[in-house]
Amino acid sequence: MSITITIDKKPFAAEKGETILQVAERNGISIPTLCFNQKITKTTSCFVCLVKDAKTGRFVPSCAMEVADGMQIESDTPEVWDMRKTALNLMLSEHSGDCEAPCTIACPAHAQVEEYVREGKKGNLLEALKLIKERIPLPMSIGRVCPRFCEKECRRNVVDKEPVAINDFKRLAADMHYDSYMEEMKPFTGKKVAIVGAGPAGLSVAYFLRLNGVASDLYDKMPQPGGMLRYGIPEYRLPKGILDKEIAHFAKMGGIAIHCNKELGKDLAIEDLQKKYDAVAITVGSWKSSAAGVEGEELAVGGIQYLEKIALAGWKGDNPGKTIVIGGGNTAMDCLRTSVRLGSKEVTCFYRRTEAEMPAEKIEIHEAKEEGVKFEFLVAPVKLRKENGRLVLTSQRMTLGEPDASGRRKPVPVPNSDFDTVADTVIAAIGQKTIAPKGVKANKWGDVEVSKENCRMEGSIYAAGDCVSGPATVVEAVAGARRTALAILAQIESKEFKEPYLLNVSRGKWQSLKTDDLVFLKDPIERKRTPQRLIPEHDRVTTFKEVSLTYTQAEITKEGERCIECSCTAKGDCSLKKHSETYTAKPDAMVGEKPNFGYDVRHPEIILDRGKCIKCGVCVKVCGEVVNQNLLGFKFRGFGTHVDTAFSQPLPSQLCRDCGKCIGECPVGALDWKLKK
Amino acid sequence: MKITRIKIGAGSCGIAAGATEVVDYFKKEVRDIPIVEVGCIGHCYAEPLIEVETDKGSVFYEKVLPKKEHLDRILGLKDEGRLAIRSQRSEREKIKVLALAGRIDMTSMDEYLANGGYEGLKKALAMKPADIVEEVKMSGLRGRGGGGFPTGMKWSFLAAKEAKEKILICNADEGDPGAFMDRSLMESVPHQVLEGMLIGALATGATKLFIYCRAEYPLAIRNLKIAIEQIYKHGLNKLNARTVEFRLKEGAGAFVCGEETAMIHSLEGKRGTPRFRPPYPTDSGYHGHPTAINNVETFGNVPLILREGGKAFASVGTQGSKGTKLFALAGDVKYPGLAEVPMGVTIGDIVYEVGGAEKGSVKAVQIGGPSGGCIPADKFDAVVDYDSLKSLGAIMGSGGLIVIGNDRCMVETARYFLEFTARESCGKCTFCRIGTKRMLEKLEKITGGRGTEEDVAFLADLGPKIIKGSLCGLGQTAPNPVISTLRYFRHEYDAHTKDHKCPALQCNQLSDVKIHLDKCIKCGLCIKTCPVHAISKEFVVDNAICTRCNSCIEVCPKKTISRVEKGTGYYGKSGGN
Repeated sequence: MSITITIDKKPFAAEKGETILQVAERNGISIPTLCFNQKITKTTSCFVCLVKDAKTGRFVPSCAMEVADGMQIESDTPEVWDMRKTALNLMLSEHSGDCEAPCTIACPAHAQVEEYVREGKKGNLLEALKLIKERIPLPMSIGRVCPRFCEKECRRNVVDKEPVAINDFKRLAADMHYDSYMEEMKPFTGKKVAIVGAGPAGLSVAYFLRLNGVASDLYDKMPQPGGMLRYGIPEYRLPKGILDKEIAHFAKMGGIAIHCNKELGKDLAIEDLQKKYDAVAITVGSWKSSAAGVEGEELAVGGIQYLEKIALAGWKGDNPGKTIVIGGGNTAMDCLRTSVRLGSKEVTCFYRRTEAEMPAEKIEIHEAKEEGVKFEFLVAPVKLRKENGRLVLTSQRMTLGEPDASGRRKPVPVPNSDFDTVADTVIAAIGQKTIAPKGVKANKWGDVEVSKENCRMEGSIYAAGDCVSGPATVVEAVAGARRTALAILAQIESKEFKEPYLLNVSRGKWQSLKTDDLVFLKDPIERKRTPQRLIPEHDRVTTFKEVSLTYTQAEITKEGERCIECSCTAKGDCSLKKHSETYTAKPDAMVGEKPNFGYDVRHPEIILDRGKCIKCGVCVKVCGEVVNQNLLGFKFRGFGTHVDTAFSQPLPSQLCRDCGKCIGECPVGALDWKLKK
Repeated sequence: MKITRIKIGAGSCGIAAGATEVVDYFKKEVRDIPIVEVGCIGHCYAEPLIEVETDKGSVFYEKVLPKKEHLDRILGLKDEGRLAIRSQRSEREKIKVLALAGRIDMTSMDEYLANGGYEGLKKALAMKPADIVEEVKMSGLRGRGGGGFPTGMKWSFLAAKEAKEKILICNADEGDPGAFMDRSLMESVPHQVLEGMLIGALATGATKLFIYCRAEYPLAIRNLKIAIEQIYKHGLNKLNARTVEFRLKEGAGAFVCGEETAMIHSLEGKRGTPRFRPPYPTDSGYHGHPTAINNVETFGNVPLILREGGKAFASVGTQGSKGTKLFALAGDVKYPGLAEVPMGVTIGDIVYEVGGAEKGSVKAVQIGGPSGGCIPADKFDAVVDYDSLKSLGAIMGSGGLIVIGNDRCMVETARYFLEFTARESCGKCTFCRIGTKRMLEKLEKITGGRGTEEDVAFLADLGPKIIKGSLCGLGQTAPNPVISTLRYFRHEYDAHTKDHKCPALQCNQLSDVKIHLDKCIKCGLCIKTCPVHAISKEFVVDNAICTRCNSCIEVCPKKTISRVEKGTGYYGKSGGN
């Protein structure tokens, strides 16, 4: 060692001829690289390994700059970080691809959708279940009731406007393997958390804590656990026997105890819980029906209260007679279809906008219609009164005006359009509100107020689920619960909770894409979505039997083949993503034109996806210097530079021995095997 | 007075102005007087240019046409049509390197020899290599290609190498828009450049002499090839005990191949992309051999140094910049052409005295081509010197000097140069390949009238980063036109983004066209000329149809048509604002 240089003011011995990068790496100083590769001569093109030579004030690529005695290198200053980040921002600005499949991004819980669909397709449903349960602790329930955020963004829509039936993979995987499946869990740490509310959020907090070795006691005010899954979602959508089986799994995991008929503020005091447990999670949900604000509305029954009453009676009840349900959401649909099943022959939905604006799931509206429910659109209630033992609802006609804050056109009353309707039961299913329990801070909407950063209310009290977000979906509650559980874990371990920055480059939403904008590893199979099989119509209107049937394994395989596998082939192995996350580089930091040089899938096994190429030149040199074939080269100049074969011919199989060395060294997913494992 | 010879300027500038036809015509009509094709004397505005040699000295005629009237005027040595070389220009210029350019037959070695040619080589042949290097060092000659690296020092590096093969390359890949110093030298006095190379070979021990010339210079290539043949024939390539070989390589059109490492890659048959230095070419260049690369004009200076001595050469110029510099003067001046001025003259001298621009009509010069920067008119007292230009945010560059008149938009000027560099980026480095593109997009947005203050801030932020994060001179200088216009003409950017106005009314999206009817003589030329029929019979321009091509403005004999602020012109029914 003949030379001494300093890196970030620390002296290091070095030998003549060594690069700054070599000295840094030997001494544990991390410098990002993309185009640097020891197997080939230097390319020096990416410039993410920049360091500053303090003496000359110049930025130099550390992978190529050789050391000189007395050199003073800065590698960890804000200026150097900014340069590296700028290089990454620039690369991301022309990078086309999908780090993650849009389904995974759309899923509030970010379950690895493409991966579990692939396992399902291959028949590995146990493996699929394992992937699902990494993010979704309630697959049996969510596999039935999820509004399928993933399918709304599914890229299969670009091909034939019909998304892959993703949610049904969860349902089949869970139905097949729930009895035998058990997750890997960390040993108990001795820590314990109190969770108030054993609905989807509470159960999920308990689940993610347990995976990490933290036990919990769940308290619920109702006689049985499950929250809205039990008392808000009708039996015909989620049979309670299935829910029992799902909840039984939590007991099997150990360390999760559920105590029912315990209400916070009545049977439990938050101060006591705080003292007794390492942390408290409030997951009480959002259970109070919103008021309609019309005269005589006390004569109506709240939507959620209506369902709760029937749930408590074991999905039995008196014929409600002629029924009007006010509202257009999923709860309204549940009330309508439940009323049908209780024997009512005349069930009508009153909604103040049109069908297009209804927030309920399309399939729910469709199935309600199939079951004989009638719809009155553009009507709003004015007054409810009792006359001769029956109810009389006065309503007025509406028309659509300017869009409101939600983007939907605001209903405006039509003057002098009042009319009366006689009914036996009027249900107001126009929304729900959170009732924050005693001792819990609420915001102006009545929801529990927590810090956005760490889901904490105060001290060791956290919250999750509907009681934080307002009424939402099960999968959103699960997603929030995971975050809360991780925040609690961080506090237990005396760490700061910080969600990691995850880069996601996206080709965009399918609605704005054409097939030419996408990259297909192979031609998409021509096949329509497998239809969901339902029980006979008669059973649907007379019993609370589950309406839809689980897909068969054969159906799931067929459906899985429709997936176009749009996420990046280099997922988990992309240096651009890794460094971008370290340097918080963002795809939209320097927006501009993205070049479109197309992709090449003519080789039977290899894909060249030029949209992902960072033009580092490693593949060109690997093929030339290591393989000795020179099958790849750069074409054109400036922003038009891209990698291609001679005369754009397919990679010749006589010369290209499919050695895959170019793939192995590609720092991103531009050159890759077509087959996803 | 007796006419002894007629010399017709037939360099590329002359040919473009019609010199070929003049040569043909004169050769056909004149039998008894020798007609000679010469290069360019620098007065390109006056082409086709004829020098009539007489027993009493030379007379010059400008803008000569292949017509009897012109021929008679010349043979009669009449006053009409004579080139008036203005005294201001002669005072400011110092013709040394260009002394023989346009004055001798482009393809005649004898004429070159008769005018002191190869005297420098003769002297050098009698000297020790180290003494030649010393002489060049003493002259203070710095690289004329733009970088300004001391030539003597570069040669000393190569001379110090012990190697079987050593390479000396003449960089003739002149690519800056508006620059033609090297072309003119190679066309007019190819032997002067080759003599410089031979002296360089003597000084450094180079065994192979490459000329990398852009293929767009066919006349220069032809003349160089002829000159090389003549050298071989005269045995001038025998340098004492050894023989050197010339190799002429035509570039394929990539601007970046003017960068030395990219040029070496190109010579080696590889893709023309630069590589990281060190190793410098003098350590490892063409196929690993020690290599030195000098610019055409640098080589053109070398024979003078040997002839007159380094000390005498250094008597001209400033402290840090010696000798003269060629400038290709273009843009909004009366007399565009090639000028040779001593280091130390002011920019103003070049613009006003040599170029003949009217004071007050010019707002800036762009010096150093797309890699350089602009210097505003209020800084025209700055002197031509490597270091002082650098301190102003410009560079000496290879000698392109574009004069920007008051009616030009500086944002558009910056956009024009950046468009060039973005296109000519080799595409290797991230900052240059994508960064210049992103800057260009913002400039297009601003000149298109859609720019915001954030876009200007983006340019100011990214520009210096591209300079810091690029491998070669192209990327390291590409943002200069933007940075220097931001420095001196920020108010023009602000006018575009804040007020949505182009003060120079050059940006099409921010200006309308109007006929000022009070002075209009209703001749109808504009109506006939307009390619999109935007002008009505009532002589009103419909700006909804008008494409802002300026044809009507140029054709109007009374200058009654002009650009006006956006929104003040007429808009017909077919479109809106």
